[in-house]
Amino acid sequence: MAKTGFCEAKPLLDLHKKAEERRPPLRTWANACGPKDRRHPQEGAEPRRSQKVEPECRWERRLPVSIKDGIITGYYENVGLLNECSDKAMLLYHHGFQGLHSLLRHEVEKAMEKLDLTWDRACAWDMFEHMIRNQYRNTFLSAELPRPFTDATRTVLVDWLIQVHEMLHFQDETLYLAINLMNRGLRQIKVSTANLQLLGVVCLFLAAKKEECLLPEVSELCYLMDNGYTKRQLLRMERKVLSGLQFDLSHCPPLHFLLLTASIARCSAKVVWMARYLLELSLLEGQCVVYLPMQLAGAVLCLARRVLQEPPTPDGDTAWCIASSIHIGSETALLRIMHILAGAAAKAHCRENRATFVKYSSALTMHVSSHPVLQNALCLLALPPLHT
Amino acid sequence: MAQGASFPYEQVAEIGGGAYGTVYKARDVESGKFVALKSVRVQTDQDGLPISTVREVALLKRLEQFDHPNVVRLMDVCAIQRTDQETKVTLVFEHVDQDLKTYLEKAPVPGLPPDRIKDLMRQLLCGLGFLHSNRVMHRDLKPENILVTSQGQVKLADFGLARIYSCHMALTPVVVTLWYRPPEVLLRSSYATPVDIWSTGCIFAEMFRRKPLFCGESEADQLGKIFEVIGLPSEEEWPKDVTISRKHFPPLFPRPITDFVPEMDEQGAELMLEMLTFDPLKRISALNALEHEYLKEEETPDTERESVAVP
Repeated sequence: MAKTGFCEAKPLLDLHKKAEERRPPLRTWANACGPKDRRHPQEGAEPRRSQKVEPECRWERRLPVSIKDGIITGYYENVGLLNECSDKAMLLYHHGFQGLHSLLRHEVEKAMEKLDLTWDRACAWDMFEHMIRNQYRNTFLSAELPRPFTDATRTVLVDWLIQVHEMLHFQDETLYLAINLMNRGLRQIKVSTANLQLLGVVCLFLAAKKEECLLPEVSELCYLMDNGYTKRQLLRMERKVLSGLQFDLSHCPPLHFLLLTASIARCSAKVVWMARYLLELSLLEGQCVVYLPMQLAGAVLCLARRVLQEPPTPDGDTAWCIASSIHIGSETALLRIMHILAGAAAKAHCRENRATFVKYSSALTMHVSSHPVLQNALCLLALPPLHT
Repeated sequence: MAQGASFPYEQVAEIGGGAYGTVYKARDVESGKFVALKSVRVQTDQDGLPISTVREVALLKRLEQFDHPNVVRLMDVCAIQRTDQETKVTLVFEHVDQDLKTYLEKAPVPGLPPDRIKDLMRQLLCGLGFLHSNRVMHRDLKPENILVTSQGQVKLADFGLARIYSCHMALTPVVVTLWYRPPEVLLRSSYATPVDIWSTGCIFAEMFRRKPLFCGESEADQLGKIFEVIGLPSEEEWPKDVTISRKHFPPLFPRPITDFVPEMDEQGAELMLEMLTFDPLKRISALNALEHEYLKEEETPDTERESVAVP
């Protein structure tokens, strides 16, 4: 999957300047925790390992992982999410489970191959099963962060990393891996608030080492942090993160599930961009870490389809029915994710952390983030805003 | 940071030179269990830990998720800085007391019963099939790194290490045994997963013979010994991309494998020949070998263990 990060070696500093012209200054985070803080790192502040578990999430985790029947818990059985093609769904069910399963399997194999997620079609289904099993490792029991970190500080850091990631022209997989490493790092490694940005940048650096062909120099990364940290500090943090995470850098990005499902469902380019935008917004939402990548992917696709309201076609409906027989999880979980992200999308344009909003307002991404319906996205779900 | 405290293992004994550095037996201070520590010193320049090391260790960690019964457990990984230019990466593996070499030595005369050999081969190929389907090749398979637990469970060790170490090997003069090396490696041709099948064939023969099949003293001698058994390959079979000429070797005809491994039945001999095939592309794969008549036949309780096998 790792393709060349940059096509040619572009001077990073120029990119940096260009980026600065069109959005708020990059180094706000570095400025926020000034050098004074860093000289007196609060090493004493031990992160509290959270034991508290939200009952709902625990239930999610205990979902059967048995693939043969597990993933065929299409939420058509749960009814109601998508009425428009329920007839088609019934049709498929008349052919029986076996028929749907072999149809799905065929589609998954085709899509895995198309997306270059497998090197051999014969292995495609095995790889897919592994993705499904593996995604449980990438979710957290609780959204709670160890003190002194809060969702707000995390969001600022993620937003900044999204900007750095874009400037460095990395693959999207790298971003999802970096944020996953950071989420794990925040919970498993003892870091002071002063070193939080360093943790973030090291996670991005490690993700790049895993996924990218071309790496930024350590000095460039230090420059991006206003030289608030030395190269030595950065490399020390690298060892700390690698040891802390046990070199476990495997991650199944929700983006892969999204592209896979979208490919099976024959979604239009615009729906895919909209879903990608919503999925990236989920990185900023601390509450989303408890959901499975597959659930996130399913929810953003549903939401994207509702926002865009593209006229249904018989082929499209059938394809969507096949695709939606994959999603694991309850309707409640899906609705909840849709709810969180609809809320996030509605206020994305006026937020302080708007790197994702800006990124997806470009022509390349079909201006999805400034789609007018998004501002009232919550109305689509016909539910009052979440209490957060 | 006090790194000593974050390294909860106390060394007990040195358990082997190994081609790539010393291996230590140690005790996990917390659980009291024994572990095997393998360390590699990695040059850390200004870009931190090399990409190759990061990726290879991450790959080992990924394999670990499958919890395969015939692969040794990787329990922990530590990265400790030695100097500005050097970081020590320590891999902590489960410790298994016995390797196949000692297991064979300890077997009472006249050696292992045929069924035991069959079971060992099944497990060995199962582990190998798992590694190969994850695009990992062992490259240095030999009785010393095939572990056998007291319950008779086979566990492959040291796989994937070759690549972690390879970038840093120039520093240490490496003595690696040639006995299990396939012709394509000895000829310095290109190679892939079939290398491990060759080694497995050699080990298969050794289980019957209780001594190695080909004990060459140099690369050329090793090739000579191989051709004495399988015969000199034809001009067409000789790889095109190698500098060593076929003319250096005397024209030899293949001899029946049972001359070298007398105790073996017909099906075993057939499988062994498929593993000791000169052309790596024609050599049998691990998964196909598991389907071979020799290993297929009776449905022993072992198949239960194997059904967990390749993901």
